[in-house]
Amino acid sequence: MLQLFVGQLLNGVIVGTLYGIIALGVTLTFGITGIVNFALGAFMAIGAYTSWYLTDVVGIAYPVAVPLAVLVVAVFGLLADQTLFRFTRNNLINGLIVSIGLISVIQSVLLMLWTTTPKNMHYILPGVLNLDLFIVPKMKGVVFLVLLAVILATYAALTRTWAGRAAYAFAQAPEAAKLMGVRTGFLQTGVVVYSTALAGLGGALYASLYSLEVSMGSSYILKGFEAAILAGIGTVMGSLMGGIVLGVTEAVGSIFFPQAYRDAYGLVFLVLILLFRPSGLFVRTR
Amino acid sequence: MRAGLLWLPLFVVPLVLHNDVVLTILVFTFILGILAVSFNLIFGYTGQLSMFHAAAFGIAAYATHLSMAHLGVSFWVGMAIAVVVVTAISLVVGTICFRFKLKEFYFAIVTLAFSEMVRLIILNWSSFTNGSLGINLTDKPTVWLPGETIVIEGTQMWYYLSLVALVVTVFVCTRVVHSWMGRCFAAIRLNDELADTLGIDVFRYKLVSFLIGNAGAAVAGALYAFYLSYIEPDYLAVDQSLAIVAMVLLGGRDTVAGPVIGAFILTALPHVINFSAESRIFVYGLILIFTILVMPKGITGAFARRSRVL
Repeated sequence: MLQLFVGQLLNGVIVGTLYGIIALGVTLTFGITGIVNFALGAFMAIGAYTSWYLTDVVGIAYPVAVPLAVLVVAVFGLLADQTLFRFTRNNLINGLIVSIGLISVIQSVLLMLWTTTPKNMHYILPGVLNLDLFIVPKMKGVVFLVLLAVILATYAALTRTWAGRAAYAFAQAPEAAKLMGVRTGFLQTGVVVYSTALAGLGGALYASLYSLEVSMGSSYILKGFEAAILAGIGTVMGSLMGGIVLGVTEAVGSIFFPQAYRDAYGLVFLVLILLFRPSGLFVRTR
Repeated sequence: MRAGLLWLPLFVVPLVLHNDVVLTILVFTFILGILAVSFNLIFGYTGQLSMFHAAAFGIAAYATHLSMAHLGVSFWVGMAIAVVVVTAISLVVGTICFRFKLKEFYFAIVTLAFSEMVRLIILNWSSFTNGSLGINLTDKPTVWLPGETIVIEGTQMWYYLSLVALVVTVFVCTRVVHSWMGRCFAAIRLNDELADTLGIDVFRYKLVSFLIGNAGAAVAGALYAFYLSYIEPDYLAVDQSLAIVAMVLLGGRDTVAGPVIGAFILTALPHVINFSAESRIFVYGLILIFTILVMPKGITGAFARRSRVL
């Protein structure tokens, strides 16, 4: 029982970091551009399919394929920003609808290219890590560490670099930031692209663990939103924590409750948080 | 009232046109039109982006069938029960959301969460709902006229039934919008804090609009289920909610009947363009994007502006 519990706990943490990286993209995009980018899940799918294609079909080594896939997603992100999101900044509903339209477009293109048959990448790193109490597949460990590193690096970049502080300033007072010499249009584009790249990374890593379907992004974007709101929109480390809380709740919850309602725990959580602590779990209320 | 006459030609269509495909598209347009028009009461007039509309639609489809199967009532009583059930559930969801003053994105997310929960329950309560396999409906609605009972089947019958239902819905919504309730809705949409200081009970009127809208969705759900003769948990899917938003935006949210045009285009398009399933989704997405970026007021909005210029 203990082994099962710890195993599920760990599984939850790892899946949770995947939720966390999407949540981070959601939070950043919303904080800086006022756009709720539902299409991040679809960008995640692009990342996943590209890394699968590069590794299994083209035959590039996986560690090289992942950054390439992220780059591809970032280019698509830039394209989406310049042709679409640029025109819907600070308009919640329009941004939402445009991103939803974008999901349809991306999914249908993926379908045309690679059909509905689920794709499975060959094992990149077989074997498990056997630590007395529990066992973890090595690849899951690697994915967890990479995601953790990226989230921490993002946090560091946002708090320690000029661009990061400019972003924070812009989120608090756009006008003032503009007057202080922040190139706001540039900043907004950068954040949208960076968020899509994060989603692409999540997808590229996801591809090494699970089988790929075109609609894979839709459940992850919902989880990403749940995690972001759980944490409180606008906090970087919060989105990681929100993702982990969500992942662990689902994993541990499915030991005690029917598996079928796995997706419901996050929803119940979400409603309760929004009703009783709308600023989020990890935001200090003044 | 003059606008009401515009509906008249639609009653003649099946008499001159015997093309089953066209009539079928129109039946779907009318039923989905009910859904879109009632949604627009909540979204376009009161300014609340509800993601619960597909849930109301789906709950009603199941409630109508289940009450007919287990209580042995007729279609119309089943539909009435469905409206009551949906209104009761909406009362709970709406009270929670509006009591806690959830707005915009947060309202959308919480209603989305509620409708996902309902979908999961329907999906997993297999003994009652047959899970993801859905249920084939064999019963047909009937209409009593003095002396005889007419069974509603075939495209032509459904055409008139759904058209009448749509006209009634549009009429009711028009009356609501032009009443004191409608003024309160508009005040809440434009600035709900100001509305509050002016003495409008914001909570009450948000709830009223939510309940009326969802009741409309319930009617659409019952009709849709029995026209299609099949219900499945996908009625409540997020995609369905988004499709409703798309219809309203495409048709235009500033008029009561505008969303019907959106419903028509999104229903007819897949049939007109003879593409594969993938390219259909592609075109659908492009239309959404195009509408938002090029004519954010929808088709009726674009025409209204044009005619003002002339």
